[in-house]
Amino acid sequence: MAHETPALRMTGVSKRFPGSLAVDHVDFEARVGEVHALMGENGAGKSTLMRILAGSFDDYTGQVEVGGRPVTLHSPAAARDCGIAMIYQELSLARKRSIAENVLAGRLPCRRFGWLDTGAMLEQARACLARVGLDLDPRTPVEEISQHEAQLVEIARALGHVPCILVMDEPTSALSREEVDRLFEIILNLKRTGLSIVYISHHLPEVFRVADRVTVLRDGKRVGTYEIGDVTHESLIEAMVGGAASEHQTHRGSNLGAPLLHAEHLSRYGFFHDVNLTVHEGEIVGIAGLNGAGRTELARAMCGIDPLDEGRVVLNGEALRPRNAEEAIRRGLAYLTEDRKTQGLALGLPVEENIVAAIWGRLSRRGVYRRTEGRAVASRWVDALHIQPPDLRREAGQLSGGNQQKVLLAKWLATGPRVLVLDEPTRGVDVGAKAAIHRAIADLARQGRAIVLVSSDLPELASLSHRAIVLREGRVIGELRGDALTPERILLAASGQPPPAMDEEGAT
Amino acid sequence: MTQPGLTPSSGPGLRVHRWLGLWGVYLVVALLLAIGRTLSADFLSADSLLQVVRDVSILGIVAVGVSLVTVSGHYVDLSIPAIMAVSGIVAVALLPAGLATALIAALAVGVLLGLINGTVIGYLRLNPIIWTLAALAVFDGTTRWAYGGKWVYVDKNTATGALFSQVYRGSVLGVVPVAVLLLAVSAGLSYVLLQHTVFGKRLALTGAAYDAARLTGVPVRRVVMLAFVWSGLMAAVAGILKTSLNMYGDVEIGATYDFQAITAVVLGGVALAGGRGTVAGVIGGVLAIGLLGRILPLMPGVGQDQQLAIRGMLFVIIVALSSYFMRKAGHRES
Repeated sequence: MAHETPALRMTGVSKRFPGSLAVDHVDFEARVGEVHALMGENGAGKSTLMRILAGSFDDYTGQVEVGGRPVTLHSPAAARDCGIAMIYQELSLARKRSIAENVLAGRLPCRRFGWLDTGAMLEQARACLARVGLDLDPRTPVEEISQHEAQLVEIARALGHVPCILVMDEPTSALSREEVDRLFEIILNLKRTGLSIVYISHHLPEVFRVADRVTVLRDGKRVGTYEIGDVTHESLIEAMVGGAASEHQTHRGSNLGAPLLHAEHLSRYGFFHDVNLTVHEGEIVGIAGLNGAGRTELARAMCGIDPLDEGRVVLNGEALRPRNAEEAIRRGLAYLTEDRKTQGLALGLPVEENIVAAIWGRLSRRGVYRRTEGRAVASRWVDALHIQPPDLRREAGQLSGGNQQKVLLAKWLATGPRVLVLDEPTRGVDVGAKAAIHRAIADLARQGRAIVLVSSDLPELASLSHRAIVLREGRVIGELRGDALTPERILLAASGQPPPAMDEEGAT
Repeated sequence: MTQPGLTPSSGPGLRVHRWLGLWGVYLVVALLLAIGRTLSADFLSADSLLQVVRDVSILGIVAVGVSLVTVSGHYVDLSIPAIMAVSGIVAVALLPAGLATALIAALAVGVLLGLINGTVIGYLRLNPIIWTLAALAVFDGTTRWAYGGKWVYVDKNTATGALFSQVYRGSVLGVVPVAVLLLAVSAGLSYVLLQHTVFGKRLALTGAAYDAARLTGVPVRRVVMLAFVWSGLMAAVAGILKTSLNMYGDVEIGATYDFQAITAVVLGGVALAGGRGTVAGVIGGVLAIGLLGRILPLMPGVGQDQQLAIRGMLFVIIVALSSYFMRKAGHRES
């Protein structure tokens, strides 16, 4: 088996983005008829590697061979022609069109003059659906079928191009337990037909159920490739988190003051349920969880951006009106969004205007904006956070990711907040900016501000927070503090292992 | 292995593109002045130039109003022709009650119609193009229904009627036409609003990044609504002027002003996608259109129909060039 030509072989593949090497000389190989899991923390390079396979980049470097033949994957069409099919986390179906049209998109059966052969279309669609065990009328619009069925339709469409390699990105993130079982059955059947499946996930139990081998990425590099029988949950987590876990330094201060923010029984149906949280002056409380666990939704609702179905937020002894971001900001609660480019900054406007955007009211007299004062404030923050280049007139979109993030942080710091909710404050920034942002966060806490830190960067969460709550499927499943607050423990809890308090039961 | 730089190039090239995007219109104005001079000897005389400004005063007032809507990221108010017509007719109809009453009522109509547009687009989030197009039909149709499409004449024999005719024709200190003065006031107010008030700052942020503005605590709905109110008010001022010029109220008076205004706005360097633009640029765009309007008839073989076609083609070229320079300067234009 090992001497057979692999279905896919990537050798020394790299992809550079401005300011970071997202994939760094990675070797990856998938055998014929194998399910090969690709694991790693957020930002480890899984998605970039997958997008290289999908033909999203025309500037990656390194060798890719499919079935022993060197190929160039510079466009989605090239990738498809090489027999590589993708199934994305977000479904990419045209919801208003029929199943048949979706499944056969791009290769609808035609007669002369482009006349659609409806009979053949329905027949071919039924055949495709049968391969994934679906018995649906192909004329049904996609929006009328369930999420799980839509997922299978997506797979049916991918299979329609007769691929030899199928890449699946977190295919179970929206499925119930029974649906996951059915999906795995289909994956195993496909594997028997000789298809190679690259399975991207960070749900450990799933990987152990379905994968034959697993490759772990960290910081864009390959840590290793293992037979699934040779690894345990713990050893995989260690590989994913790496040495960073043990060598992290502690930033946190130790003087906690009075409670500033109380969240009581917060629920937003379908996103999070009955979350309680108290944050004190000078305290950094982490919120951990996998993608889709409800972290961002919770943070946004807490800050009055999204609605709440139940519960209330009390800031400094007084309840906040729900769904009122303006009031939250005025009373000193700031939310730093995870989506810097569309929800955080106005990339087309200068740095200066971005920094003072939340305090225009304060910088004006009788509605007239006092430009010199605004410029002075912006200039102070550019100096304080070492924003590079220190040019107030430069458009925010022209700065590097790290400096953009500093501008966003400056915008909120300029409001003089007492409570800061930071959602992925270091996502997509380089190492230097990351360290600077970490220092700024620790300083803010030492000055007596209360901080809620939402992050998928586990070493960051573990080293900065005083304690962290772990969310899974919208519920708090544990709180970690002290020595228990390690990247490994967080990942174990978040990915479906029992919380550390019940450690003994978790042993296999 | 080449590292792709940050998408927008920096350095002198970028500066030139940005400068052209904002001020290139005044190069066009200079070019048109030069062409005009070759076609007619007294093209650059003070009288002739003042005449150009007076000719575009109505368009200019409409355009500075619309520019706030464009900066807010909501493209254009297509109901402007109807707002102009309705306020003009209201002014004429209420003249017997006194000039002040008539003018205030006409302006109030503009604010009211702008308020309707702004509420529907700002609060109910309807597509601005579709809604204002529909509003145009509704406002216009209702007026036709009420007046049977007839012209409503100003009675020149009354004192108020004579006074009303001076709204467009009169001049201050014997030199500056009232129409030009009104343009200056409208542009001045729009300039202060857009570039020196909290409202203007919020408006630009809303247009540049709607979601980011919302999360920053900007009352985005109200801001968008007010942009349409301002546009409605300016359209009412323009409608009064146009009616004073014609000396009759008519549903057709606003025709083509919507299209000309958006041409001026884009020509003046306002990003169609919102978030950036200056009133000075818009005035440049208006002047360019005015000069073009004087030059085209001087050219042999260019009649009314050809002028319309040429203006249309110019609009396409301007939008293409503007998008090109904006893209070069690193702006996403969508």
